[in-house]
Amino acid sequence: MKEKKKRNKKIDLCYSWLFAATINTIYSMPDEKRKVAEATASVKMKYNKKQKRQHKKHGGSGDDKRKRRGPRLPSSMRKALDGINSLNRSDEDIDSDETPDFYEYEEQLPQEESKKNRRFDPVENYEYELPENFKDENVLSDDDDDENDDSGMKRSSKQLGDDVEDEDDERHLRMLEGITGMPTTAFEGKKRKKNLIISEAYPESEFNPSRDVLDGNGQISVEDLLEPLQGKSGYSKLRKRMQQMHKKSTSVQAPLPKAEQEKLERKAVYEQSKKDITKWEPLVKMNREAPTICFDEDTNLGFSTVGAIASAFEPRTEFEKKMASLVNDDKVKEAHKEDGSKLLELNKISVEDYLWDRNHIAKMRSLLFRHELKRKRIKKIKSKTYHRLLKKDRIKAAAVEILMDPEAAKEEARKEEFKRAEERMTLKHKNSSKWAKRILKRGLSVQDEGTRAAIDEQLQQHALLTRKMNTTKDSSSSSDDSSDEDDADENSAGSDQDEASKLFAKAKEKTLKVLEEDDEVPNSGVLSLPFMSRGLKKRKEEAIQEAKLALQEYESSLKELEDSAGEENPRIGTTTGRMVFGPVKREAPVSSKKIKTDNYYGNSDSEDGLEAEDTDVGNGMNDDVQKNVKTDSVTLHEDSEVRDSVFKGFDDIVRDPGQKTSCDVAIFASGKWKKMKSGNEVDANIDKSTKVVEPSLPDHDLVEAGEESDTDSEGQMVDGILSSGPKTSYELPSQEELIRLAFAGDDVEEDFEKDKQEILNQENPVPEKPNLIPGWGQWTHIQQKKGLPSWMVDEHEKAKRKREEALKKRKDAHLKHVIISEKLDKKAEKLHTKTLPYPFTSKEVFEQSIRVPVGPEFNPATAVGALNQPQVKKKSGIIIKPIKFEEVNPHEKTEEHKRSGQKQKTNRNKGNGGKRTQVRPVVVKS
Amino acid sequence: MGAKEENDAHGNILPPIEQEIVDELDTKVKKYLRGESANLEVLQDKKLKGQLAVREQLYGKSAKAAAKIEKWLMPSEGGYLEAEGVEKTWRIKQEAIAREVDILSSRNQYDIVLPELGPYTLDFTPSGRYMAAAGRKGHLAVVDMKNMNLIKEIQVRETVRDVVFLHNELFFAAAQKKYPYIYNRDGTELHCLKEHGAVLKLQFLRNHFLLASINKFGQLRYQDVTTGEMIGNFRTGLGRTDVMQVNPFNGVVALGHSGGTVTMWKPTMAAPLVKMLCNQGPVSALAFHPNGHLMATSGKERKIKIWDLRKYEVVQTLPGHAKTLDFSQKGLLAVGTGSFVQILGDFSGSQNYTRYMGHSMAKGYQVGKVSFRPYEDVLGIGHSMGWSSILIPGSGEPNFDSWVANPFETSKQRREKEVRSLLDKLPPETIMLDPTKIGAVRSARNKEKPTKQEIDDDMQTAAEAIKGITMKNKTKGRNKPSKKAKKKQELIAKAKRPFLEQQLKEEESLAKKKQKLSEQGELPSSLQRFARKKTT
Repeated sequence: MKEKKKRNKKIDLCYSWLFAATINTIYSMPDEKRKVAEATASVKMKYNKKQKRQHKKHGGSGDDKRKRRGPRLPSSMRKALDGINSLNRSDEDIDSDETPDFYEYEEQLPQEESKKNRRFDPVENYEYELPENFKDENVLSDDDDDENDDSGMKRSSKQLGDDVEDEDDERHLRMLEGITGMPTTAFEGKKRKKNLIISEAYPESEFNPSRDVLDGNGQISVEDLLEPLQGKSGYSKLRKRMQQMHKKSTSVQAPLPKAEQEKLERKAVYEQSKKDITKWEPLVKMNREAPTICFDEDTNLGFSTVGAIASAFEPRTEFEKKMASLVNDDKVKEAHKEDGSKLLELNKISVEDYLWDRNHIAKMRSLLFRHELKRKRIKKIKSKTYHRLLKKDRIKAAAVEILMDPEAAKEEARKEEFKRAEERMTLKHKNSSKWAKRILKRGLSVQDEGTRAAIDEQLQQHALLTRKMNTTKDSSSSSDDSSDEDDADENSAGSDQDEASKLFAKAKEKTLKVLEEDDEVPNSGVLSLPFMSRGLKKRKEEAIQEAKLALQEYESSLKELEDSAGEENPRIGTTTGRMVFGPVKREAPVSSKKIKTDNYYGNSDSEDGLEAEDTDVGNGMNDDVQKNVKTDSVTLHEDSEVRDSVFKGFDDIVRDPGQKTSCDVAIFASGKWKKMKSGNEVDANIDKSTKVVEPSLPDHDLVEAGEESDTDSEGQMVDGILSSGPKTSYELPSQEELIRLAFAGDDVEEDFEKDKQEILNQENPVPEKPNLIPGWGQWTHIQQKKGLPSWMVDEHEKAKRKREEALKKRKDAHLKHVIISEKLDKKAEKLHTKTLPYPFTSKEVFEQSIRVPVGPEFNPATAVGALNQPQVKKKSGIIIKPIKFEEVNPHEKTEEHKRSGQKQKTNRNKGNGGKRTQVRPVVVKS
Repeated sequence: MGAKEENDAHGNILPPIEQEIVDELDTKVKKYLRGESANLEVLQDKKLKGQLAVREQLYGKSAKAAAKIEKWLMPSEGGYLEAEGVEKTWRIKQEAIAREVDILSSRNQYDIVLPELGPYTLDFTPSGRYMAAAGRKGHLAVVDMKNMNLIKEIQVRETVRDVVFLHNELFFAAAQKKYPYIYNRDGTELHCLKEHGAVLKLQFLRNHFLLASINKFGQLRYQDVTTGEMIGNFRTGLGRTDVMQVNPFNGVVALGHSGGTVTMWKPTMAAPLVKMLCNQGPVSALAFHPNGHLMATSGKERKIKIWDLRKYEVVQTLPGHAKTLDFSQKGLLAVGTGSFVQILGDFSGSQNYTRYMGHSMAKGYQVGKVSFRPYEDVLGIGHSMGWSSILIPGSGEPNFDSWVANPFETSKQRREKEVRSLLDKLPPETIMLDPTKIGAVRSARNKEKPTKQEIDDDMQTAAEAIKGITMKNKTKGRNKPSKKAKKKQELIAKAKRPFLEQQLKEEESLAKKKQKLSEQGELPSSLQRFARKKTT
């Protein structure tokens, strides 16, 4: 397209030229006519014409084409040439010879354009050269004819006249030359005008550029052409145009290489886009800096009611349109308006429709029937391979479906679960079928390969199906157990003596077993040492005795249980949890109280009554039991195996009911139970008793004791016996003395100093002094003289220095009377940040930024909203539109920023709703 | 007047009154700004700078608004006694005051004489509306101070050592002979806090809903009264004491001990945060200024000291003994000794307490407890013969904030406030010496021990760093890849070594500890005679 346009333009231009030329010719016509009248026809003229043509063909068609490019010579060169030409005009003989030499390379000029090259036209001298070129004329004649088809046609009419003209021109020129003494070229312009008419008969195209481009010697200027037109209408217009064109004309340089060009283009585009984007900058900046951005510009959410939505509905799809056309049908509407009767009429179905429907149904039925038949046939097929293949297909399809559809997957899982359950129930695959039994009965080894494989497969399937079951059973077993226990508890709670007696029986069995066991004394190791073995024996004896005792007790309790089976129940009603422990105190309290005193000071207080103790026992009893058991197990590990076994027995017994006893004791409240329990305790406490630490009473110093007495004698104080006079009446020195007396030996400061040192040592421990382990790091005694290795000393020094520094850094380093703990409160750690939050780089700034509370309790209501505004405010349902450009004055905005807080910002942001999301891409581009 | 004249002397453009207002506002704004803003100029991050600048402006606006509100909505100013000529404020008797004040105020001067159930201790609700009084011999009473209405009194027939209101007047806790109990307003016993034991002194931390107690054995306990959970149980190890006071600023509990030391505790740490030697003799009383920066202690060596808790330094040492101390809302310090109550005031603003007022009870009355009534210029005195109330002008905060404490609270308001305060309940770990540091960066020095994972990571990074090193080529013939690899391995091992060594050391120490423990644990009796006798 572009190309075409260009060409058009060129053509236009050419036309203008042409126009000028034609005008010229027109006005020159009278001249010609005159000349024609004057001139006489001559053969020479004709010859001349031929000669011209001949000359054209001279170089051959190929060569002529080249010639056309002649004008591309540098203008200076061309001028020189012209100069030579003009000079040679005078002595044409030589000139004619030489010219071809100069234009040797121009011989390739295209033939068809050669005529245009008027340089040669005016040269009449060619006549004389005739002999040289004459030969060729005939040879190329046919070519010539072809070539001159169009021009020749035109010419044929004018030929005669033209020839005459040429002749005339020649003469005229010479005459002029003679008169003025100027070279012929100066006068050529006029002549050319005439020639122009002839030569410009070529079709206008870029291949035949206008003349001045071709010869470029500027002998004929546009002005020259215009001159004759002076005073004619349209002249001034034309001239103006010419001038404009002159002004505009500039030299065109060779295009740059493509890469370079593109680079420049890109650069330009970049500049342009940069400019484009910078206009967004203030807007983006504003949005970024805004503490909040609001998107609540248009609160109109569109449709609010169902009716509104329905009314705005427009059918879009084919179906909807159809429906709408039916629904909105005038007839239907009318029918609705009046009454239903008309609707019935409208409901009429045409016969064709009915028939079509019927046929359709029949067709479907037949299809269904055929399908059924097919299914039946397939069902009857007994080929196993067929069914197997079918099944395979089905499974494959199902597998795909499972992958695609979660519903199907769920279904599948359920099926699997069901299958598994079924398998667990029926044990279908566990060789329980008749067939399997028979085969097994006959012996597997007898069977052939296939059967064995089948059985194997079946078993495997069973395993597969039951695998899950096993895992679930594991997890649920504990709960089962517990529930069992619960059951047992319930049973026992229902005064089930059987359970208890069973337990006793079990315990008895175990103890017996332990007693019967013959323990071999180890022959080697520490235990084989005589004193150890003695100790062991002693211990064993003790254990056996205990076991016997326990046995007796078991037996007796068993008996009693059996005896007092009937009496139990009423007793439960009467006894309460507390009362239970009355008789136990015989033995148990000693231990329990001892333990208690460890963690409970209240008991050591003389004021404590019995109730407290009781309740405590209630709490502590079970703990004690369990504690004992635990300690037992601990000590047992260290002890000999014999003891271990014995006590394990006990352990088991104690532990077995261990979880339950707590409630057992409370609920049963039977003497036997208690007895058993206490017995256990005693057993357990036997070796524990040595361990029980004396309760460390808080050491009150003298002063405190004094205070204690104070509180004791509070009654006296009430009576107001104490002196009522203000104590300032005391003489100070004597008071000081008194104090000194009162706190004699109480060097508080020194104590505190010591305390502080202790704490410091605790928090910043003193590095251990390095000491050599004898034999280590030494080869002979010689090395010993050297003392400690230097690295050890260095390390010690370093640690010391470190400690000193740490001590110096402490907050209480310079406060003699204060110890500020440097201990870390792990629970409070979460209230501090580990690291600075992201944009902050300095701790100070961060801490300063959080110094002001933001809540409504600490700020006036007018400021709370602004302080707690979210970054983005948006009402639900609002569509965030892309950012729109709008003029923002950055300076003004910043001022506004400073001047006002929230309101302005929100207002300002209201204008550009929807910016935030869209701003980003813009910024990225830039 | 002095201030006015000064402003005039400055010769500002504004008329004097307005200038004064501006100045006043400025000081108030400063208060609400809560410190200087950070220097934003040093910040490199422009965005952050901008954000902070906006923030700062908001803060400024808020502070200004708050200051204005304070200026215009809290018009009452506290007065105080001013002496003329040779008159001394401490010579002004209560009778003289009674003659001058209005009837309502003069009603606050009274003595309730209850000689039988004697010495009484008092506690006011934070609004000052209600008072709980507890007589040593089992008398508990809740009194509405506004209309002097006795809401409930009960006789528990036990020693009552202390009484304290919980979060509102509906509940109060009394430290009785063996345990502290919680009663409601109707005198119904709600809880018996057995775990506390025989408590000598009770304190309630309002923001944390913690009931703190110190018992006979010097055990400090914290119990959450909302959940009943025991938050902390610490042995002070410093003997019996009945000197305990909560710092209202940060919730730290301070205990005064017989060694003259004061220890400060928080419920999540077993060791005291601060232990300071305040007095030479046993500490007999302790009080905190409402702003939390001042602490007054008195020792048996007859010295009352005022401490600046920001620097842990003595600000002032006053002679005299105090059985009980209390700071008023406006910063007056009441000192009770024998039957004499002295009020010290700090009117110069330089924490220089001077005598302000004095009041001596009838002879034989032993003052056991002094307590300023909030939002009133009233001092309650619990003594051996009942309790008394005297007027101390300038002691109470004249403007109350109904969001904080409302003396005219209706029951509905009370209910709402209860819910709100429960929602705003602070977790116990927020009690710390400087609660403004919450949310700040943890100090690097307090860094906990690196976890095993961290150590491993460090080791890995060290090893990785070595792996990245390219080894130099040796001379021809010596440059063997195997040797290079070996060298690298060695380097890696070397890099890992310190970490491993440290680990080993730790393990060793742990093992040692364990061994020690096991040594302490018993030998079987048969081997006990071979155990080395411990040198004591």
